[in-house]
Amino acid sequence: MATRIKGRSSKAKSTGKSPAVRSGVLKIPTGIKGFDEVLEGGIPKDRALLVAGSTGTGKTVFASEFIYRGITEHNENAVYITFEEHPGDIIKNVKSFGWDFDMLIRKKKLVFVDASPDNVITKESGEYDISGLVERIKHAVNQVKAKRAAIDALSMLFSKFTNKDAIREVIYNICDELKRLGVTTVITAEKVGDRTNGPSRHGVEEYVVDGVVELSLEPGQQQFTRKMFIKKLRGVGYRSGVVKFDVTNAGLEVFPKIEVNRMVSKTDFKNREKFGLKGIDDALGGGIPQGHMLLISGNTGTGKTLFGMHFIAQGIKEGKRTVCIALEEPIEQVKKTAIEFGFNFTKYEKEGKLVFVSPSLIDISNDKLLYQIVNAVNKIGAKRVMIDSVSSLQSATMSEESVRQFLYQAASFFKTKGIACLMNYLSSTNFGATRGQLLASMDTNIMRLSSIVDGIIVLLYVERAQRVKRIFNILKMRGSWHSTDIFQYAINKDGIDFGKRYEE
Amino acid sequence: MPQKYILKLYVVGSSAASELALRNLKELISQESETIFELEVIDVTKHPQLAEDDKIMAIPTLIMKLPPPVRKIIGDLSDKEKVLLGLNLIPQNK
Repeated sequence: MATRIKGRSSKAKSTGKSPAVRSGVLKIPTGIKGFDEVLEGGIPKDRALLVAGSTGTGKTVFASEFIYRGITEHNENAVYITFEEHPGDIIKNVKSFGWDFDMLIRKKKLVFVDASPDNVITKESGEYDISGLVERIKHAVNQVKAKRAAIDALSMLFSKFTNKDAIREVIYNICDELKRLGVTTVITAEKVGDRTNGPSRHGVEEYVVDGVVELSLEPGQQQFTRKMFIKKLRGVGYRSGVVKFDVTNAGLEVFPKIEVNRMVSKTDFKNREKFGLKGIDDALGGGIPQGHMLLISGNTGTGKTLFGMHFIAQGIKEGKRTVCIALEEPIEQVKKTAIEFGFNFTKYEKEGKLVFVSPSLIDISNDKLLYQIVNAVNKIGAKRVMIDSVSSLQSATMSEESVRQFLYQAASFFKTKGIACLMNYLSSTNFGATRGQLLASMDTNIMRLSSIVDGIIVLLYVERAQRVKRIFNILKMRGSWHSTDIFQYAINKDGIDFGKRYEE
Repeated sequence: MPQKYILKLYVVGSSAASELALRNLKELISQESETIFELEVIDVTKHPQLAEDDKIMAIPTLIMKLPPPVRKIIGDLSDKEKVLLGLNLIPQNK
């Protein structure tokens, strides 16, 4: 019996789970990474969700993962109804994700209803219905006391029988029967044609189900981009729009748009995150205020990454966990450089104090990157984040607008958590500022990011008496006193050697 | 030596199509004097596992287990010609 429950059900309490409830429809988590967040809790309980897409979009993986996570993570046994592939093939295929269906079958947690093509010569003579299949499904549900079902792929049913009315009726009957038995179902269907043609080959499925998710595969610059579009979800809330996802070696990974509450700001000017370099911390009025995003801009070789390393190391010294988003260089190389200056990042990482996020820059999207950052921050409860660098996003495949959007979302997220973020920006400032006009040659590109970031530090080269000197200036710092002096600094074997006010 | 046929008819309880299929089949069998038929009628609501093993979807379904190859005829068997063709039995009156 499909039940509408307001508030938390007693059953949910007893299993220790807390399914999301909205407008009276109970949701269950699919267990698919990121997907439940997109659906704000999961899919409607005891209902049917249609997952439509063309070949190779990941429909079967979706259905299989829904089953696997249900059994292994939510203690919900399942029935797998297959119209397309033989059970043996499915079992073999999902092994590559590390999902042992054989074992689940042996433990009587999973049972297949095999409706795949059987090569038996079949003729039709007179009237029939497809109640045999319905009875088999009922039997399978009872056998393992299933709470979940996968039907893959429904479109195959149409090629099997000539009586289309009987098929429409049986689809309706199956969905109805599964609802009645308290089973939540994921149905996959082949999608042909474009979006205007409806979600699957035969319009009927959409009418019968309570939710429709479309999967698509689009060529990116160097690899395919997978997209997911929640088309309909009866009676429950979900985040609208298209989200991206990947098929990883551990299943699907969906990257929901991060919703940030801009009303929440934990910016704290009293609590500063220090670099551990006295001159800088003093110039900043004590350090980076919590909740602030500080941009550090400079040309190549000015030591931006090194400033970041000091920031990471000081944080960990103070017991504050840090996330480092390494986009410029491979993590191993970052670690090797760090050890040269006496920072043991490998050790910090092993101790769980430092987490690296290092996504491939090929076909990177702001949603995906942001999702990874949010996950890393939440996982360790980070108070500091270092992004090296923002410019590498721009030089990768992200448009200038996406980068701005990414920074805007990231800044809002950091504010809700009171995180101090330091990020590097490669500017193309020239050498040889004129005497008395040290900042005259500054690249003004960073100004476009000015409205998003809370503070800007510029690092510059000046050429004096056949020597290159490095200078440092805090250009802006929202809501806080900061030194307006131009400082001189050097890079030595211990890192940044922060000096005095620059004197010509 | 008469050919031996092993048939299974899958039905659902006492649905109209199921009863009609059984009637049609019995009539057909009675006309085939040269052949020995062994018929088992299976109600899927009572024996769903048998239906699973035989991969039954449509009701009624007639399965010819012997002689090989295995064949299936779905429907109420009202089109006798098709049934005879399906079972590889040459119609007697032709």
